[in-house]
Amino acid sequence: MTPTADRELAVDYFDGRSARAHRVALRIDDGALAIRGEAIDLRLPVSRVQWPERTRHGPRIARLPEGASLQSLDGPAWDAWARDSGLRESSVVAAQQSWRGVLVCVALLVASVAAFYVWGMPWAARAVVAMTPASAEREIGDLALRGLSEGGFLASSAIPAAEQQRWRARLDEALARAYPDAATRPVIDLHFAAGKLGANAFALPGGVVVIGDELIALVDRRDDAVIGVLAHEAGHVRHRHGLRLVVQAGLLGMLSSVVIGDFSQMMAAAPVLLGHASYSRDFEREADGQALHVLRANGLSSQGMVLLFEKLAQRSKHADDALGIALASHPADAERIARFKAEAP
Amino acid sequence: MAISGTLGAALPATHRRAPFAATGPAHEGSRTALRFTGSGSEYFRIWIVNLLLILLTVGLYYPWAKVRRLQYFHRNTLLGDHGFDFHGNPWAMLRGYVLVAVLTSLYSFAGQASLTAGLVAFAIMAAVWPALFRSAQQFRLSNTSWRGMRFRFTGSLKGAYFAMGAALLPVLLLSLVTMKLGPEPGEHTSSAQLALALSPVALLMLMAPLAWWLIKRYQHGHLALGSNVTRFDVGAGAMYGVFLRFGGLMLLVGLVGAAIVGRTIYVGTASTLGVLMLVVFPIACVGVFALSQAYFAARLQNLVWNGTDSDVVRFHSALSLRATLKQTLKNWLLIALTLGLYWPFAKVAMARLRLQAVEVELLVPVDALMADAERASRDAAGDAAGDLFGIDFGL
Repeated sequence: MTPTADRELAVDYFDGRSARAHRVALRIDDGALAIRGEAIDLRLPVSRVQWPERTRHGPRIARLPEGASLQSLDGPAWDAWARDSGLRESSVVAAQQSWRGVLVCVALLVASVAAFYVWGMPWAARAVVAMTPASAEREIGDLALRGLSEGGFLASSAIPAAEQQRWRARLDEALARAYPDAATRPVIDLHFAAGKLGANAFALPGGVVVIGDELIALVDRRDDAVIGVLAHEAGHVRHRHGLRLVVQAGLLGMLSSVVIGDFSQMMAAAPVLLGHASYSRDFEREADGQALHVLRANGLSSQGMVLLFEKLAQRSKHADDALGIALASHPADAERIARFKAEAP
Repeated sequence: MAISGTLGAALPATHRRAPFAATGPAHEGSRTALRFTGSGSEYFRIWIVNLLLILLTVGLYYPWAKVRRLQYFHRNTLLGDHGFDFHGNPWAMLRGYVLVAVLTSLYSFAGQASLTAGLVAFAIMAAVWPALFRSAQQFRLSNTSWRGMRFRFTGSLKGAYFAMGAALLPVLLLSLVTMKLGPEPGEHTSSAQLALALSPVALLMLMAPLAWWLIKRYQHGHLALGSNVTRFDVGAGAMYGVFLRFGGLMLLVGLVGAAIVGRTIYVGTASTLGVLMLVVFPIACVGVFALSQAYFAARLQNLVWNGTDSDVVRFHSALSLRATLKQTLKNWLLIALTLGLYWPFAKVAMARLRLQAVEVELLVPVDALMADAERASRDAAGDAAGDLFGIDFGL
């Protein structure tokens, strides 16, 4: 249908040694490129030519072996000739040259980034957490505790030592009953504190749990409320939420820490992170689940927790809210309270 | 599918002439402005598709994307009726990137492991850097061609170490000396001790123009096509001139700013002062940064390219500061507003502005230009280091 003359293209030929241009005609037949011009007569396989990609603007430059090249300023004519001669373009080029292809790529890009954020990063964070030894976790918690103790946030507790010991024994007993298998049981180092902590409680990586004198007073020393709070914090410890927060905040640095086995970088950043971060709703929900489990195993009512949440909601904004991961800093929403209410007799 | 003629033998003997003689009067050559025909929307499409491929291959596709980008920008830069071309081999560049990624990881791990290890790693990096810099120049230049002729970089290794070391080594030595002699943190410092501690900074500011001049002289004094090598005809004084004028400009801006602030404090109300500090000040800071970047881009391009010439070519750069500043501000504003999506458009617009301000004057007929048959070394690792640390080796 198309006469063979139409499948010829006039371009410039350069030999790679001189800047002199030679006008030549190109034709493709039998899988070979024929180059004909004044004193030039060449044939070479199509596969030995580095063909240019189709673009809307700019010249076309095809590279030949030994430094020679074919160049043309007329892009569209070249593209038409290449298409008619049976040269195919890659799908990458096809995508680049169509707005539909680009929109598909944008959608895929957004989807990939979202997928990484939703699944990739949490997965990576979980892997890093799993590989962090308990000793490093404990050190991070100790560092954070030291940081919080300075500056008056935690003052010496006014609760007598005997009562403190009683609470500690009570907690150990409750945890032993809830987690008969010692391997899954969280080991808690319970501290009491007064000071700016106020009516609050928090857990640190490694098992340190601090409960405020004011909180115990607020619930009138009710067994079920105090154990519920401590079990909630023990839940954060059991699932290593504090460490996961630290890891998620600085994933790349953590990866290198795990790889080289040195956690000093993680530890330097951790207290700051723990001081400012807050648990996600999922973390809080998990810890609530642990609290319910412990209360149930010990035959305690969850009414104590409901009353605690109600009392905390009634309090005006206090300095208690200074620490994001602490219990009273993000008072329970209706959903969480409902969960505890459902269990109450 | 036999090849019925080798490429070299096809040409008549008259074309295998000796390189054009360097002596003789330069005759009226053609003075042509560079043209840039690339479009922002097209580069945006290319950029998006390649970004996705890089993401899907966890970064391994990067050399191919880079080759595509460089080819797009090179080929759309027209001198006369022919564009430039980029010949880099993505596989070689991939090797280079893997090598540099490994080295960088080791460097950052060393820094975390201990202070001594970090310092040792830094010393090794500093010792190797000029060699990598030279490799990057060689790679980029020998993989660039015009009308089929490849360029070369003729700078020596010794030259690279001198260019990078001569001005910065004194600063480094002075820093080490003052670290040893200087006050300990927490100690009460006298003004003399403070002056000593700050002296490396002062020396750095004094030596910075010199360092920049040495590096540019090394780069622009060794661009070669065939047997013709460029010369760098700019003196260190001219470089100091640019930096001093910049200092003067900043001083002027500072004075104007101080005057405005002072007047507002004296005359204005608390609310106008608040508006000034919270709204006007950050915008003014961004403006000053844009002005600095545009100033150096425009003035240095003009200074450096006007001073680069050889026996066969002369460059004339007339990049306007006002146009550069306008484009820089426009780019920054639109990139911020589009959360980064405007970046390809910005890159194309800036490339067009900078390239089309340059005129190339050929002193010989274009047919007489000849390249060497030898190929310069293509050390891909050098180019990888250049890109990873953000040093721009653009043509």
